Amino acid sequence: MSNFAALDDKQLPAHQLAASLIDLACARGVDRNRLLRGTGIFYEDIRSGKHRLSASQLLRLMANARQLMPGKDAAFLLGRRLFPGAHTASANLLMHCRDLGDALKLLGLVKMQFCPFIYGQLHIYNQRCYWLLDDAFGCAGEFQFVLEAYCTALAAASRQLFAQRVPFHFDFPFPRPRHIQEYEENLGIRLRFNQPLLCISFEQKYLRQPCIQFSQTLKWHALRQLRAQRSKINMGFLEAVKRQLQQHRNMALSELAEVFNISPATLKRRLKQHGVSFSQLQDEVNRQQALFLLHVKGLNNEAIAAEMAFNDIPNFRRAFKRWTGSTPSQARLGWKLIDFSG
Amino acid sequence: MNYSLLPLHSKRIALVLCTALSALLLSFSHGEIKAWQVISWLDVVGEGGIALLTLVWLFFLFVSRPPGRVTDLLVLGLSCFMFSALLDLMDEFVRHQSGYWLSLVESIPAPIGMVLMTWALYQWHQEQLTLNQQLRRREAQSRQHHQVDWVTRLYGADYLREQLTKHLDEGVSSLSVLMLDIDNFDQFNRRYGDQEGDRLLRELSELILMNIRQTDLACRYAGDRFIVLLPETQRPQAVTLAGQILESVRHFAFKTRESGEAVFHTLSCALVSAVASDQAEALLDRLNRQLELGRGAG
Repeated sequence: MSNFAALDDKQLPAHQLAASLIDLACARGVDRNRLLRGTGIFYEDIRSGKHRLSASQLLRLMANARQLMPGKDAAFLLGRRLFPGAHTASANLLMHCRDLGDALKLLGLVKMQFCPFIYGQLHIYNQRCYWLLDDAFGCAGEFQFVLEAYCTALAAASRQLFAQRVPFHFDFPFPRPRHIQEYEENLGIRLRFNQPLLCISFEQKYLRQPCIQFSQTLKWHALRQLRAQRSKINMGFLEAVKRQLQQHRNMALSELAEVFNISPATLKRRLKQHGVSFSQLQDEVNRQQALFLLHVKGLNNEAIAAEMAFNDIPNFRRAFKRWTGSTPSQARLGWKLIDFSG
Repeated sequence: MNYSLLPLHSKRIALVLCTALSALLLSFSHGEIKAWQVISWLDVVGEGGIALLTLVWLFFLFVSRPPGRVTDLLVLGLSCFMFSALLDLMDEFVRHQSGYWLSLVESIPAPIGMVLMTWALYQWHQEQLTLNQQLRRREAQSRQHHQVDWVTRLYGADYLREQLTKHLDEGVSSLSVLMLDIDNFDQFNRRYGDQEGDRLLRELSELILMNIRQTDLACRYAGDRFIVLLPETQRPQAVTLAGQILESVRHFAFKTRESGEAVFHTLSCALVSAVASDQAEALLDRLNRQLELGRGAG
């Protein structure tokens, strides 16, 4: 059995996410039947917690909630409720982690419960940590909602776990939204918009920020409980594909299909279901790496080209332009990154 | 739509129905039904439309206004009007011999209804002035009901930004802006539930309203963060005012629903005064930073 779920696979144990959102919307005067319309979710199933949900069902639920709930704060309220939620093994695992670095690692094991739509990858450079975020399922129009909930949950959870505010810096690719007040209130003032990379960054020393409830024994206990649940699914389909592409640059479609044990035609169809094509994904993965090397590490064209296994510079420049829409030098001028004076 | 006011109007609804019914009865009992061919359908549509719309107005009246003198007058006026409109409509279906007194009955209620409604609208105006007084400190000179926050019934961030921009554009001499944030609100929410959290927000917003002057404006900015606009206020005066709000919140014993135990809260606050050619966003940004800094130190 594979360890990832496609958009329509009813494999996610995210009842708590759904339940939180339903409670929240109903408390704001939204009719439950209207909220669940078109989602294929039955309230009884959520209550019993037996049937698993698919990503597309949850996304539909979010879309409904976003439209029906008054105000712009739905995602933020949801984010604040996500952790710890019910006291499940997943919540306990994070609750008793050693430090922030440990928590981010463990999050990979339990993210399907809290927020399956976004995955993060940690990069450390020059005393700073960069938690690069990416879409695990193809959330399309709901991505900003999901992202708002994810970032709020992260900020709120870290306040709980470490009993202090970790100074996270948030970089968002989209323009400054009208409801900026919710960002300020929930994420703090270190916010930047229209950024090339979607990431949360912080000083490396906070990686060792100890958790106030750290307990090795309780952590192991939670891990054992999680293993007993035998849920192998720990990533979304797009996440699985992108991780493969990151490891094997210039992998062909047929090779990728082989890894997933499906035919190339099936793989193509699956990708289309998630709203992307194979070449788009490849470009996206390359784009993220190139921008990271350029903006964060501040490498010059030769170094980036070498790192990304390009034979010559003109070739790299052409490719870079295709990924980002501008040449490397324009990109350097455009974003005088990464100064954190603000 | 919210129909919660409807049950309060059972008597008035009965009155409207009785009026409509009596119009129909009166008309049928004093004439004979016309042949199908002579009915003028254009008139039926026109006069029927008037009667129907009157009923729609009555419906909106019932779902939007609580019982009271002004409501009674409006219902009475509209009922009279509807009575005439219905008789007029029935004329198209029923032929009357004893024309004279019936035409009197048909035409007199309409002007009476109009007079009643005019009087009611004047009363409504008086009522609105009273309500405006009640809304002071919650509302500046403009009303935008879609910008009112669902939980606290204060205006939200959009309204605040508009008002702030207006003040800054007018170049008012001294404007101070106060930002208030409840400490450990998340913790309270986790412990007592979100419903209690919402109730706390409501009660605290009332408390803030009680502590500010008639000319000030309180808004809910986001989450547990409030902003108070203090026009024509120098910094020392604003500091005093902020101190008074903090003090009264500190002494406020919020009783939880379950056990009735008293929970006390403190606020963090930031205060900035507008400088010449200040922009709303820049000012709010300064406020946020100051609040964050204060938090870090505390």
